[in-house]
Amino acid sequence: LALYRNRILSEIPNNEKEALDHLNVCQKVVVDRTSLLMARAKYQYQLGQYSDAKETVLLLFQRGMIENYKLHSMYMCAILELEYQTLEEAMKLPGTRTLPTLVPLTDEQKQKILEAYKTEIYPDYGKSSAANRIPMNLVDGDRLRSTLDIFIRKGLVKGVPSLCLELSTFLLVEKDGKYVIATDPVDVKEHVAYKLILELVHGYLSSLESNNKLLPEDEFEEPPSTQLWTWYLLAGLHELAGEYSEGIALLDKCIDHTPTAVDVYELKARLLKSAGDIKTAVEVIDAGRDLDRQDRYINNQTTKYMLEAGMESEALNRISLFTKHEGNPEVNLFDMQCSWYELGLAACYANKKEWGKALKKYSAVVKHFDDFHEDQFDFHSYCVRKVTLRAYTDVLKFEDNLWGEDYYFTAAEGTIRVYLHLHDNPAITKEEEEPDYSKMTAAERKKAKAIARKKRAQAEKQAEKKKSEAKDSENGGQKNPPKKGDKVSPVEQDPDGTELLKKEPLEEAKKYSAILSKHCPTRLGTWVLQYDVSIRRKKPLLALQALLKMRGLDPTSAQYITRLVDFATKAPSFDATGAVKTVVTEETASLLGGKPVSDYVVDLGKQARQDPKTSLPLRAAIAEILVKTKSEEPGTAASIIVDGGIDGRGVDIESCREALTILKAFGKEASPSAEKWIATVNERFPLVKNFS
Amino acid sequence: ETYYKDVVEKHDEGLCKFAYWNGFVVGAACARVEDIPPEQQDKTSGDDTTISSPQKRIYIMTLGVLAAYRGRQIGTQLIQSIFDHYEANKENAEFKDVVEISLHVQISNDDAIKFYTTRFGFAQGEKVENYYRRIDPPHCYKLYKKLR
Repeated sequence: LALYRNRILSEIPNNEKEALDHLNVCQKVVVDRTSLLMARAKYQYQLGQYSDAKETVLLLFQRGMIENYKLHSMYMCAILELEYQTLEEAMKLPGTRTLPTLVPLTDEQKQKILEAYKTEIYPDYGKSSAANRIPMNLVDGDRLRSTLDIFIRKGLVKGVPSLCLELSTFLLVEKDGKYVIATDPVDVKEHVAYKLILELVHGYLSSLESNNKLLPEDEFEEPPSTQLWTWYLLAGLHELAGEYSEGIALLDKCIDHTPTAVDVYELKARLLKSAGDIKTAVEVIDAGRDLDRQDRYINNQTTKYMLEAGMESEALNRISLFTKHEGNPEVNLFDMQCSWYELGLAACYANKKEWGKALKKYSAVVKHFDDFHEDQFDFHSYCVRKVTLRAYTDVLKFEDNLWGEDYYFTAAEGTIRVYLHLHDNPAITKEEEEPDYSKMTAAERKKAKAIARKKRAQAEKQAEKKKSEAKDSENGGQKNPPKKGDKVSPVEQDPDGTELLKKEPLEEAKKYSAILSKHCPTRLGTWVLQYDVSIRRKKPLLALQALLKMRGLDPTSAQYITRLVDFATKAPSFDATGAVKTVVTEETASLLGGKPVSDYVVDLGKQARQDPKTSLPLRAAIAEILVKTKSEEPGTAASIIVDGGIDGRGVDIESCREALTILKAFGKEASPSAEKWIATVNERFPLVKNFS
Repeated sequence: ETYYKDVVEKHDEGLCKFAYWNGFVVGAACARVEDIPPEQQDKTSGDDTTISSPQKRIYIMTLGVLAAYRGRQIGTQLIQSIFDHYEANKENAEFKDVVEISLHVQISNDDAIKFYTTRFGFAQGEKVENYYRRIDPPHCYKLYKKLR
């Protein structure tokens, strides 16, 4: 309770001094000394008492918090006397990342920190893994090489599967004054640290192969597992560089060596998936799963891959190995709020164009979030009674941002996409409707009715059959037949989602888009969706707002550019008057940089041709809009995609497929380009399936 | 292959084990107690009163270690553990009639023959013609060691 009061005191702006003093007053009653010290360090920092803050952090280390990376960030910030905002951002870094991986530091700053670690941390905490890991981000050149060497060899001998992931955090690239981890293979391959790591690992491999030691000067020989992990690490490094076939070859060596190593199968399956062959990936990961049937993680991964491959019934079989024994496994998954499965299943149905079922699964996830929201009412009375007030306020804050969570975004996005597709293709939902009888002759009418009657009877018969089969299998499991008045779970009502299909698509889409725009404003996807919905609803201002937000988040995004051009071309035909019309015209002009649409597009085309590293999705988008605005012939526009080659950024199987779809849509003139593209992609990704 | 699948199905914990290294399975051994058919029973020891209880033996069905992990005593440890299990339980109902431990080894498998004879003191017994159905040579030796 005292700490709660303290927290409120600190939330009043500029009240840090009082909060700090209050801590001293109440420390006799406070049991959670760690929180008290952390709060104290925070206030001291905010008041600019850097050396005091540092001392408090050292006290926290003494209490055993030495492995807390966030505290290390605070320690470093205190030494360098950085702004509080930098500290806040450093405290949000995940995993083993700390201050030096957030912002570039000068050599002087790095030296200062290294000195501090040498004098204050190492004497007491020499064995701490955090204390040894963190300074690695502060050194360069030869010193980096030697620390990496020790770190990697230790990991290889111990057999750490996540070694490659950890090393990837060294591949930092600067962007807008901050560091981000490089993910695109182009950036990875160029990076100094990456080349250094590759060199070290190749050295280990040749040394292992000649005399079974990691370094020629090693005293003892390595056990065979080290060989395995070294190959595994190298395969992981190939994955970062997008070199899937090389990685898979190494992993095959691993499997020959130790066919019982489950991690190897998992990585191989991941590489196969990235290389475009999901079916083989499923086989591989299922083989790995079979080696350890108790491992829930690998079972979940197998299920995930099967859903992606469109094998939803096998996926259900796999995941059912871990659900409750009685009853329908899908109902159990719903009760357990297993969102990842439901989202994967929904995506699977959407790919198979089973729209109703997809909507049903997305709505299941939405229902979970509604439940989360409802749950908070349980806490009101409980928390006040138990006086766990800080935890209570944390939960309330979480609930406020609930609709901004990733899974909700995915569910809402999926739902919106399906409804927009239904809106654009109304024939899908009209299939079931009765044909127009008034326009037919009597004979035709009779025939049509007979056909409809037969269809309905058949459908009913099938439904009956399914129901009785399901009842039989359930009865087989339980001795008593289901009682009357059993609650039908939401999953079993309307399993094909037909009710959801009947709803008004644009209304539903608008509903979800509005929630996303309110709670997920930092995601580009939110505004893409808002644009797509508003343009169909003929609401130019909302569409324009979406465009402006998109430009604020990422002006080079392919999705933004296509929609901007779409808007600009449609703008003259909007049913707008007065103020609305002015705003639309002015803002569009400013977004286009004052140029008419065709000039804007042609300029983009020129830029793309000049820079060979332009990302593939962007190149494909530019080619598409060039043809749409008739600024270039399809044959010429196609060259942006094809001539640009496949060594730029943003190249993966999915973007290649998108590019191919666009090329095909250009028609006959671009077919030589399409052929060339197919050949190029097949050469770069030899394992890809169905790319033609 | 079905032979090996069956091995997985039936098991007696003291006699069937996996060998692990650093988290992976790298070896396995499986043995079972079986009756010695009368024609093979040892009638030389003791007087020739009727045999009161049937004689049994421990039969080693499989022993294997992944290629990369051989030469490190893993196989030895697996077999030794079977011996230890017997020693610890030899007066129990399960093992009290066991008089020997034995296995069959392909005549060309010199490494295996040496492994059992030199390390564990097995004796090389008679040759059995055409024991194996699908591998060449199809003959094998019986290796055995008297336990009591």
